[in-house]
Amino acid sequence: MAAVQGGMGDADIKTDIKTEPSADGFGNNNANDGRVLSASPGSSSSTGSNKQTAAVTPEDQQTLLAVLQFLKKNKLSESVEILRREAGLPENSLDPKANESAGAGSGGAAGIVDLEGGDASSLLSRVTGSSSAGAQAPTKAAVAEDQPDVSVVLSAYSQQGDPTLYKVYYRDLKKFIETVLDCHRAELSQVFYPLFVHMYLELVYNNHESEAKAFFEKFSGDQECYYEEDLRILSGLTKKEHMRGNETLLDFRTSKFVLRISRDSYQLLKRHLQERQNNQIWNIIQEHLYIDIFDGMPRSKSQIDAMSGSLAGEAKREANKTKVYYGLLKEPEIELPLDDEDEEAENEEGKPKKKKPKKDSVGSKSKKQDPNAPSQNRIPLPELKDSDKLDKIMYMKEATKRIRLGPDNLPSVCFYTFLNAYQGLTAVDLTDDSSLIAGGFADSTVRVWSVTPKKLRKVKSAADLNLIDKESDDVLERIMDEKTASESKIMYGHSGPVYGISFSPDRNYLLSSSEDGTVRLWSLLTFTCLVAYKGHNYPVWDTQFSPYGYYFVSGGHDRVARLWATDHYQPLRIFSGHLADITCTRFHPNSNYVATGSSDRTIRLWDVLSGNCVRIFTGHKGPIHSLAFSPNGKFLASGATDGRVLLWDIGHGLMVGELKGHTDTIYSLRFSRDGEILASGSMDNTVRLWDAMKAFDDLETDDFTAATGHIHLQDNSQELLLGTYTTKSTPVIHLHFTRRNLLLAAGAFNP
Amino acid sequence: SRRRGSEGAAREVKMSAPKTIPKDAQVMIQILKDMGITEYEPRVINQMLEFTYRYVTTIIEDAKTYASHANKSNVDADDIRLAIQCRMDQSFTSPPPRDFLLEVARQKNQTPLPLIKPYTGPRLPPDRYCLTAPNYRLKSIQKKVSSSAGRISVPRLSVGAVTSRPTTPTLGTPSVQSVTTKVGTPVSLTGQRFTVQIPPPSQTTTTKPTTPSTPAVSNVLINPSLIGSKNILITTNMVSQNSGGESLKRKHEDDDDYDTL
Repeated sequence: MAAVQGGMGDADIKTDIKTEPSADGFGNNNANDGRVLSASPGSSSSTGSNKQTAAVTPEDQQTLLAVLQFLKKNKLSESVEILRREAGLPENSLDPKANESAGAGSGGAAGIVDLEGGDASSLLSRVTGSSSAGAQAPTKAAVAEDQPDVSVVLSAYSQQGDPTLYKVYYRDLKKFIETVLDCHRAELSQVFYPLFVHMYLELVYNNHESEAKAFFEKFSGDQECYYEEDLRILSGLTKKEHMRGNETLLDFRTSKFVLRISRDSYQLLKRHLQERQNNQIWNIIQEHLYIDIFDGMPRSKSQIDAMSGSLAGEAKREANKTKVYYGLLKEPEIELPLDDEDEEAENEEGKPKKKKPKKDSVGSKSKKQDPNAPSQNRIPLPELKDSDKLDKIMYMKEATKRIRLGPDNLPSVCFYTFLNAYQGLTAVDLTDDSSLIAGGFADSTVRVWSVTPKKLRKVKSAADLNLIDKESDDVLERIMDEKTASESKIMYGHSGPVYGISFSPDRNYLLSSSEDGTVRLWSLLTFTCLVAYKGHNYPVWDTQFSPYGYYFVSGGHDRVARLWATDHYQPLRIFSGHLADITCTRFHPNSNYVATGSSDRTIRLWDVLSGNCVRIFTGHKGPIHSLAFSPNGKFLASGATDGRVLLWDIGHGLMVGELKGHTDTIYSLRFSRDGEILASGSMDNTVRLWDAMKAFDDLETDDFTAATGHIHLQDNSQELLLGTYTTKSTPVIHLHFTRRNLLLAAGAFNP
Repeated sequence: SRRRGSEGAAREVKMSAPKTIPKDAQVMIQILKDMGITEYEPRVINQMLEFTYRYVTTIIEDAKTYASHANKSNVDADDIRLAIQCRMDQSFTSPPPRDFLLEVARQKNQTPLPLIKPYTGPRLPPDRYCLTAPNYRLKSIQKKVSSSAGRISVPRLSVGAVTSRPTTPTLGTPSVQSVTTKVGTPVSLTGQRFTVQIPPPSQTTTTKPTTPSTPAVSNVLINPSLIGSKNILITTNMVSQNSGGESLKRKHEDDDDYDTL
């Protein structure tokens, strides 16, 4: 929607000079003009010759003068002469205007925004060295305040007018929005934050340090409270050099901040800004903001607050329109060796939401292809081995003994406390059958313990394996070496703290991801490291095996998540799009989608098959540290540093619930086996249980809400909270429901 | 609690004896406060100061080097700027920019997901990318055992050391010596088969087959645990004997997969 502004009289220039397409997709007008002015001096003389055919509007005059000054600065006196002669300019016709209209200025300069973005990355700098030098030179000239023309026209971060007037523009806008009707005010106030940040960054970029600081001091207090962290980072940024190394900020500058505003409010704003003489603010809005207009009632403040808070604004509506196959895959048919009592138990249970088929022989008839489920071979999955089939049979047997949870039947909680970890415990995982628990530590070790009385054993050496009887029934016990039996095993290999850990579903492998940038695969038969997957060169914050094994996902500081297979040393998919580190990665139960939570306060859902981002969920006000899919695959729960748990409907792409109660970062979330209860564990030393059935039951998704993505969230956190369990002084970093719905929790004692 | 105690200590130190804290530490405390960090152990200040001193010293030393290289007698601002720039590129690198990542991702995501071959045992990358090879070599007096040395550098080697069994795909006797001298030579016997053999310790050039060397389990995985007394370095199944061992061999096809990636 954000149409690039017009006001350009220099149509000729655009058509004559060939330019490369801008990578960031800025309007062609801008790109052309930008490159014209930053092109090598040789071409600018030809520009001059073109200009004489165009009518000399005030904008043209400005541009001409700017080019003239540029040539002069670089001591290209001959070109200066030629240009002056051909353009018919009188000598010394440098006419500094304090506030030239944004037309030429923004047009010319805007296109260079992405050029300057290219400064930071060699790949983007298709612009030659001379042009970037050219762009730099005028910014240096801008320091000398006597020639604002050059700076305005040629400077990188389109300085729209006199820096001292930025305060005035902002204040005027503030006044206008305050006088607007109530219903529109909330929506239009969304504009303040991105506008403030971009104006501040412009001032900093063009080396107006004192003005920038004054601007910041005056208006930073007005911003919403949830932007406090970002503002604090900004306050430390006062020079252009500071901006260069900060990838997140650069991404923020080059990506458009998305706002959702109703048509009426938008018309108001547009009318107000366009009727003014100096509509620099309008230009900034055009440049850096993407306004997603919808028809309908303007949103209330609470609705807006619920959805905003992320680094790049909200999500465009189109971003959440792709069809997502959130259903579960069909379970394979397995002959269940039943004795009578098992059969009876199975018959009694009629749980529609359970993943496993109720009865193998009869079940196949009732299972038609779920329209929302992906097909079995949408992505290749490993075949079911005999040991997997045995596992499944165990799973089904355990499932029959599962306790049915509910608001009146809360689970018991068993807490595993890691003692003497000295704040070094950084990751925990349990196997699905709760037989093994693994911990990743800040001293780079990975330790595995056995939860059951059965000890951990290594596989025998090859020579010993020769001697065993391979045909015996208990061959799987015989291959284990009794001499190596112990309660726990320590595995060394990483060279940095271990931040993510994950067991494979078949309990043969363990994955760990670390600050050293590698993800390591360990064998749980020999307790040694098998592979180190290198790809992230920066800390990897989280990793997880797929629910069917073979694939795993990892996400880290380099802002991408990678999908790997255990037998490929390079990733299969790269999920790129986040603006800041990825802190949490989770597979969907059907293994076709991956959810990633990030420090840019958004959650993205990626399709494994194509690598595309199919959903963007905004609303958290802090980095997201935990994600959990519901067992039926329809919903996603997320927890962040702001202490709230948000619930999302994946199919529609909407937020459907908000659970308030925790007072500190939520590091662990888990749904019970049948999805009735959601457990959350946090740094505030508590485990809270929430009524998930109820939270998902009262959903009113009529067409309007589905189309526009606005839903009225009820403030029913208190009703949904079923219980709060406090530990003495142990933050809860992992939660796990056993197959019988007993809740296990883990954390390190932190006195 | 201990943590609260340490905070109290930090506060106490600040308030009771301000003069005893060096100015640098006071500045550091102020910086932490400005950045919004309110709770920290007192050792953090020392750590931050240590980092600051080390960083500044490194920069200034680098700058001195650059200045002397340019035959300047004094270090000036340009040298410092250059020193900072070089250090930034070396130590404090930042992740690649977003558009680059998007481009790489686009290319990577175009290739379809590879099909999974069934019944292939542990699914691991080609041995070159695993950490499963032995990282040592046993020096042995007897020639016959030292043939295993050839396996160290290139685990893919098929080394024929055993000449005793007519069925084993091996080279003739002379290969034994040649392998030992030139460790790196790829002696590829069976062409397509990757096999590694166990030289039973009592193996000689005699024709008598020695201790049974057909282990049932032939995972390359279990190498590290094989450092037994038996002087056996790597074990896999003996290809020749059992055809049932195909699934456990690391065929060259795996490497082909790798090469085409």
